[in-house]
Amino acid sequence: MKSGRSLYLAVTVFVVLGLFSGAAAVLQNSGSEEGWRFAGVQGLGLVIPVLFAIGAVGVIWLGWSSFRLSGIITSTVAWLQSGRDEAIDSSANRLIEAINASFDASANQAAESEQHLMDSHIQIQLAHRQQKNTEAIIYSMRDAVIVIDEYDRLLMANEAAGKLFGFDHKDSHRKSISELIGRQCSQFVDLVISSKKSKARATRREIDFSPAAGKDASATGRVFDCVVSCVFDEGDQICGAAAVLHDITREREVSQMKNDFVSHVSHELKTPLASITAYSEMLADGEAEDEETRKEFYSVIQNQAKRLNRLIEDILNISRIESGLIKVSKEQASLTMLIEEQRQMIKSYAEEKNIKIIGQKPIVFDQVRVDKDMISQVIVNLLSNAVKYTPAGGSVRIATEVDEIEGVARVTVSDTGVGIPEEEIEHVFEKFYRVKANDKQAKGTGLGLNLVKQIVEKVHAGTVFVTSKVGEGSTFGFELPLATREPAAVA
Amino acid sequence: MSDRRILVVDDEIHIVHVVAIKLRNNGYEVVTADNGAQALEIAREEMPDVIVTDYQMPVMSGLELVKELREDEKTRDIPVILLTARSFAVSKEQQEELQISTCLSKPFSPRELLGYIEDIIHAKELVVEG
Repeated sequence: MKSGRSLYLAVTVFVVLGLFSGAAAVLQNSGSEEGWRFAGVQGLGLVIPVLFAIGAVGVIWLGWSSFRLSGIITSTVAWLQSGRDEAIDSSANRLIEAINASFDASANQAAESEQHLMDSHIQIQLAHRQQKNTEAIIYSMRDAVIVIDEYDRLLMANEAAGKLFGFDHKDSHRKSISELIGRQCSQFVDLVISSKKSKARATRREIDFSPAAGKDASATGRVFDCVVSCVFDEGDQICGAAAVLHDITREREVSQMKNDFVSHVSHELKTPLASITAYSEMLADGEAEDEETRKEFYSVIQNQAKRLNRLIEDILNISRIESGLIKVSKEQASLTMLIEEQRQMIKSYAEEKNIKIIGQKPIVFDQVRVDKDMISQVIVNLLSNAVKYTPAGGSVRIATEVDEIEGVARVTVSDTGVGIPEEEIEHVFEKFYRVKANDKQAKGTGLGLNLVKQIVEKVHAGTVFVTSKVGEGSTFGFELPLATREPAAVA
Repeated sequence: MSDRRILVVDDEIHIVHVVAIKLRNNGYEVVTADNGAQALEIAREEMPDVIVTDYQMPVMSGLELVKELREDEKTRDIPVILLTARSFAVSKEQQEELQISTCLSKPFSPRELLGYIEDIIHAKELVVEG
């Protein structure tokens, strides 16, 4: 376009210059015939400029026309081109837009997929971590934990469960619990399966455990508090269950011991109280006819009141020693002197039962540093226990020895009584414990021997011991550090 | 007053003593035992009109004694009064089943015990007369 316009401009300039020069020549020769002649003579003098001018005008017209034409063509082409371009542009744009949109959609989709993937990855990591946390919690629990799927196959179990039911908890994945546990404790398997069937969120039951021979024998006779919780999926369908078995054998024993204690203590408290009430009423009603009978009644009331007081003191002393609140007053003392005093106190009780108490002559030197009242209590408890469980006609022997090598003074009380079964010996110093086999032999609260242990071991840093043979008798005793071995500063 | 015989059973000697005095003072003949086994033997021999027994005793408890008495045709109808230091030691059903006339909680009143014994004796006399 630019080159066309330049050409047209050059031609126009050339034609205009031709015309001016032609016109100038005409004007120059018009004044003289010669001139004209010259022009006329020749015949060409005027024609040439005119032709030149006409040619110039033609050229100009042509140029203008061509310019116009070229302009038109250019415009047309341009128009056509622009139209086509526009059409092409429009289609292309739409295409590009579509492609772009597609690209955008793909990109968005890809981004979403990537995000989704990342989310899934995070979710998997979280789930994995959560599983690890759950495993850590379950594995660290002392209670037996078992998790099963909807087909009653094992998903997870801790060591306690493996030990209890006798299977390898790390190598039993996806095994049926009926196969793993059924034989050892069908009661448990039945509970789990019935809980799932009932669709109950949680079921609780106490299970007496009696495993098959060759399994965990220590679990035999134990009682477990078993809680089975069903696991539900998104559709509220049961997809498994988790069971926790908590050993409540000890709690049961403690609870039973407490009940027995309350029962024994109430009986022990009520018995002297019954005597006091009855004898008081008899006196008030004038049933004691003579002075001697009245004195006897007063004496009974007094003794029973003392008995009641002793029992309450025993309970309180144990409680005080255990809580560390008891006031201890230690001094140098001779064990044999203390024994002799207590032997005299128990004498009448032994004579009532026709039991002989054999002692030794008191050694008058202070072997130990003790709270006299407390050690007297220890001695009287051991002596009265021996008399209580020895049949009429038997004997009780009490002895003291000083073991310089061990640095202790040792006191032993041996009887010819009923003895204690071997399996119960280790429990005899436990609070509230009563030897079952001897329960009918005599009454008691199960506090006496526990008080002995508390006084000797907790207050005097000594030790208690017992040996026994059923039908032959028992020997109870204690050792106390010799005064010479004990730090003087100890109060 | 009467030659009625009462068997008193308790391992607590002071209780046996005070009940015996109360009953003797009121004209009853009293025999004693300090455990269930001994009481069962005496009951079979002496056929007391009423047995007053403690619940918790060595060798044989009061409840075991009553069961033994009820199983023996000779002793099955002897009325029994049970003394117990434990509340709810014997249920109502058990009491009815074993035909225990009265359960008295320790501490008890000897006067009240005498009243129960007299009621039983009186009821027995009425049955005999009737």
